[in-house]
Amino acid sequence: MGVATASAVVHDLDVELELVERHRCGDAQAFDEVYTRFAEMVYNLAFRLSGNCEEASDLTQEVFLRIYRHLGSFGGRSSLKTWIFRIAINHCRDRLSRWRPLTQPIGEDVEEGEVSYADPRRGPEELAVAADEGRRVTSGLARLPQAFREAVVLRDIEGLSYEEIAEVLGVRIGTVRSRIARGRDQLRTLLET
Amino acid sequence: MNRHPSTEQLSSYMDGEIGSSKEEQIEEHLDLCPACRTQLEAMERLVSGLQRVQRPSLPPDLAVAVRRRIAAAPEPYGLDRLLRRLQLHLSQLSEIALRPAFRTSAAMGLAILFSVFLLNNGLEHARHAAPALDERATVVTVQTYFGQPPLDLPPTTSEVAGREFVWLGDRWIQRGLEGKKPESHVMAESPEGRAMLSKYADLDLLLADGTPVVLRYRLATVELSGS
Repeated sequence: MGVATASAVVHDLDVELELVERHRCGDAQAFDEVYTRFAEMVYNLAFRLSGNCEEASDLTQEVFLRIYRHLGSFGGRSSLKTWIFRIAINHCRDRLSRWRPLTQPIGEDVEEGEVSYADPRRGPEELAVAADEGRRVTSGLARLPQAFREAVVLRDIEGLSYEEIAEVLGVRIGTVRSRIARGRDQLRTLLET
Repeated sequence: MNRHPSTEQLSSYMDGEIGSSKEEQIEEHLDLCPACRTQLEAMERLVSGLQRVQRPSLPPDLAVAVRRRIAAAPEPYGLDRLLRRLQLHLSQLSEIALRPAFRTSAAMGLAILFSVFLLNNGLEHARHAAPALDERATVVTVQTYFGQPPLDLPPTTSEVAGREFVWLGDRWIQRGLEGKKPESHVMAESPEGRAMLSKYADLDLLLADGTPVVLRYRLATVELSGS
C-alpha cells in the first residue's frame, strides 16, 4: 500500500468516526449521510442475495434500522463499508433462511419483481439485452449454495478484496479463496445449461 | 509447474490474489497448457459478465420507508443519546460563555434585569416570594426532534443474537444476568472467543467500542472482552 493510499484510508476512517460521533450526539444529518453513501450498496447486495426487489427493499429497510441502532458502537476497527456489509450479510442470512430455502430448484426462474435498471445513457435495445442478462445472472446466483453466492456477489459484483470479504464473512482468506472459486465454477455451469 | 493448477489457484491468479512465486509458476504453465488457458478464459468471461450486470436502481420511496421504520422503532439508547446531546450543547455553550465580549454583555444584561426586578418588587418581597427548596417543583425539559419517538429515558439496551443486552455504564450484560458474577473471562481473540463470535457474529457490534459483554454461554455466565 503506497503512502498516498494509506493516508487516504486514515482520512476515510477519520471521516467515518466523525460521522459516528455526530450520530451518537443526535445529529440526524449524520445518519442521512450514511444512508446516502451506502443505500445503493446495501440494496444491491440484498437484491443479489434474495433475487427479488420487493424483498430487497424490505431487507434494506431492516438493515438500515440495525445500522441506526448500532452505529454508535462502531469503533473503527474495520472500515464503515466492511462493517455495514457484515451487518447486511448477517441480516440477509438470518431473514432469508426463515422465509424460504436459499437455493432455487434448477429450472425454476426467479421472480425479480418490478426491478428497474433505468440508465439514460443506454438505448432501448441495449437496455433489453442488459435486463435479460441481469435476469439470467439473478437466476443463476439464486441457485448457488448460500456461502458461494455471498462470496461471488461480494467479489465479482461488489468488488471487495479477499481480505475485506474474509472480514465481512468472518472466515479465513483460504476459505474465501475456495468459496469464490467453487461459486464461479458452479455459476458458470448453471449459466451454460 | 508441471501439474495443472487447481480451479481455486486459477481463480485467485485471475484476481491477483495469489503470491508472486505461485503467479510465475502458473504463468509458465499457462504458456504451455491450452486446456488451462481455456478454463481461465471461461472464468474471465463469467466475471466480466457479472461485472457488466447493471445494478438495480434504488426504489424512489426507500429513503422515506427507512425513516418511517426508524421513527416507529423504539429508541435504542435514549438515555445515552440524551446525555451526549446535553454534553454537546453544554460544550457549545461554554465555548460562547468563555468569550470576553459575551461575558461583559451578559453581566450588564443581568445587572439591568436584577435592578428592574428590585424596583418593581422590593428586596423584602423578593425574599418572601422565593419558595422553600423542598416546595419547588422539579421541571425537566426534554427536547425531541420531529420524526423521533418521545424520549422516555428507558435503560440503554441492544438486541444482539436474539438476546437483549442492557448497558450498565461499564459493560453490556444480558438481560436477566444483572448482578451475577461472571464465572469465566474469555478474550475475543482466543479460540473460545472466536468460536463465540462465529456463533453470535453480532456480538462484535457490542464489543466494537472496547467494552466487555456478559452473557450466558454453554450454561455458564461468561464475560467476553475485546482486544
